[in-house]
Amino acid sequence: MNLLVLMITLPLLTAFLLSIINRASIFAARVIGPLVLLATASIGISVWSQLGAAPLAVQWGGFQAPLGITLYADQFGLLFALAITIGTLLLWPKSSENQLRSSSLALLLAGTGSGLALSGDLFNIYVFYELMTVVSYGLIAGRGTSGSFASTLRYLVISGFGAALALAGIALVYQATGTLNLAQLAQLSPEKLNNMQGFAAFVLMLIGFGVKAELFPVNMWVPEVYATASSRVSALLAGVVSKLALLIIMRLLILVFHQPEALTVLLVLGILGVASGELAAWRARDLNRMLAFSSIGQLGVMFIALSIPGNAGIFAALAVAVHHLFLKPSMFLLAERWGGSIKGLAGAAATSPVGAALFVLLSLSLIGVPPLPGFWAKLLVIMPLLALDQPLYYFAAFVILAAASLEANYLFRVVMKLYDKEPAGKPHRPHATADLATAVFLGAGLAAAVFMLVPLADRLDSIAAQATDVSAYIQAVAPQSLETGRVQ
Amino acid sequence: MDILDTNMILYSAAFGLMLIGIGGIVISNHLIRIIFGIALLEAGANLLLLLSTYHEGASAPIIVNGNMPAMMADPVPQALVLTAIVIGVGILALALSLAIRVQRAYGTLDMREVRLKLEQEISDEAGIGMPSSSDKPADIRKLPFNSVIQQEGGS
Repeated sequence: MNLLVLMITLPLLTAFLLSIINRASIFAARVIGPLVLLATASIGISVWSQLGAAPLAVQWGGFQAPLGITLYADQFGLLFALAITIGTLLLWPKSSENQLRSSSLALLLAGTGSGLALSGDLFNIYVFYELMTVVSYGLIAGRGTSGSFASTLRYLVISGFGAALALAGIALVYQATGTLNLAQLAQLSPEKLNNMQGFAAFVLMLIGFGVKAELFPVNMWVPEVYATASSRVSALLAGVVSKLALLIIMRLLILVFHQPEALTVLLVLGILGVASGELAAWRARDLNRMLAFSSIGQLGVMFIALSIPGNAGIFAALAVAVHHLFLKPSMFLLAERWGGSIKGLAGAAATSPVGAALFVLLSLSLIGVPPLPGFWAKLLVIMPLLALDQPLYYFAAFVILAAASLEANYLFRVVMKLYDKEPAGKPHRPHATADLATAVFLGAGLAAAVFMLVPLADRLDSIAAQATDVSAYIQAVAPQSLETGRVQ
Repeated sequence: MDILDTNMILYSAAFGLMLIGIGGIVISNHLIRIIFGIALLEAGANLLLLLSTYHEGASAPIIVNGNMPAMMADPVPQALVLTAIVIGVGILALALSLAIRVQRAYGTLDMREVRLKLEQEISDEAGIGMPSSSDKPADIRKLPFNSVIQQEGGS
């Protein structure tokens, strides 16, 4: 099963070889990136199909679990590794003068993202997370405008702050347990991390990894970056990369941190995220920033879902995440030609009827109108929230419902403008074919989900069940009981 | 516990460095100072990580001629810190080069001004006016002494 390693190394290797290949043949350098990602995705799918019920652990170089580097692949991790690989393939950077650089960066993003999703210890999670962050700086600044440099720098400041806090959190975990392997941490944490030190470590790591997951206090970068980066990069960051950071927080929550206070922190930050994000989106007057703020709101819903104890919370968060994974990139691709003020969108439906119809579909799903997947995803969050029968959880359900009405208000405002009879001053350019095709493909996936809701929900439920099975994790990574403890 | 215990001093140094770094990021407006704040914060986090398994008098974990040292230092945090330092240096260089680009584009390194100019640029590109900002009062408030000052200036 060493094929799994290729999912990470193949894109990384190609990224670094790309400039050498470019010297030999410009055409080859242009084609090889997407081909490698296609190969990586097919490797991922073949591993997935052989996976079955038992998760898979790979020890790099044959060094056993507590000492060696562990890759852990269950359906949960593989799903997100495939999401970043296929997402990068679909949102491959457009040809421009610095095509070579952006292709390398896109390949690096796919490789580090897969590594992050499949890593089985905190050390590698930290390293891959940092690499992914640096790659996203490059992608954002790659547009070359003064605005993109300034927003990258402001993002870098927040991100650097978060990374240092996450590192401090890892230090606290290591101080208490003497290991960074997640399987060993899962065994030791009930005894050694169920205290104030463990809680402090959780908060530090939540804020650290929360920067990319658009967590409430550390998401000031979101509107600036999504407004200044190219729309394909925004689509990747909002759609896929934020979910990878969320995956790390989910893994930590399942395996390492079990304090009830941790769930309260998630709930409160999630509520604040939904409220602030949706209110800001309601006030926004340009489409890019409206979508950016609404993405903060959606991530807030996922954090609220995570705060539900047990399997139901992970299931709900996964459902919202997968829904958002399809929806937000598609919306950002549509915003490519519709960037700018919402008032200026008047009559845009006349020049691009397909885009406008797709936008209506996506808006309805984002709000949560019944037959569409967005409705079921929100239902999965709200039902267990109400079932918990506690005031703060009731309040969270209320906030999500109130946010839905706000979403309806601001998204319908855009839709009304799109179908306005009197066009704005300058005629709108229709969407580029590649953008529109990708957006329609993602939207069609969302629409198709309506017809297979039950098998889809079953599949997501089984993924969540496998992800929350701590003993299976320990069994896969270290079958022998781990009693080495701290190396003296 | 003795207040001048080595561990105590080292831990307070780590947390102190982190606090100074966070303070620098939060309080200062100059971009270079903010970047140095991040560097200090990282240094503090690295020190904390090294301290997590620090034993006084431990030797390097190398077995020489089959002799196992009595107490060995844990190599894992050292490897992690080494990685973190390398990443930190790279990010520091990137931050400084971005700061140069920003300075060339906007002519300032003041974070507040950069934020305002960025906001202005995004709004201009979108074709909407600047949002009403709380940073700047919309108009001079009509207070008694304001009108006095204006009259004095006018006369």
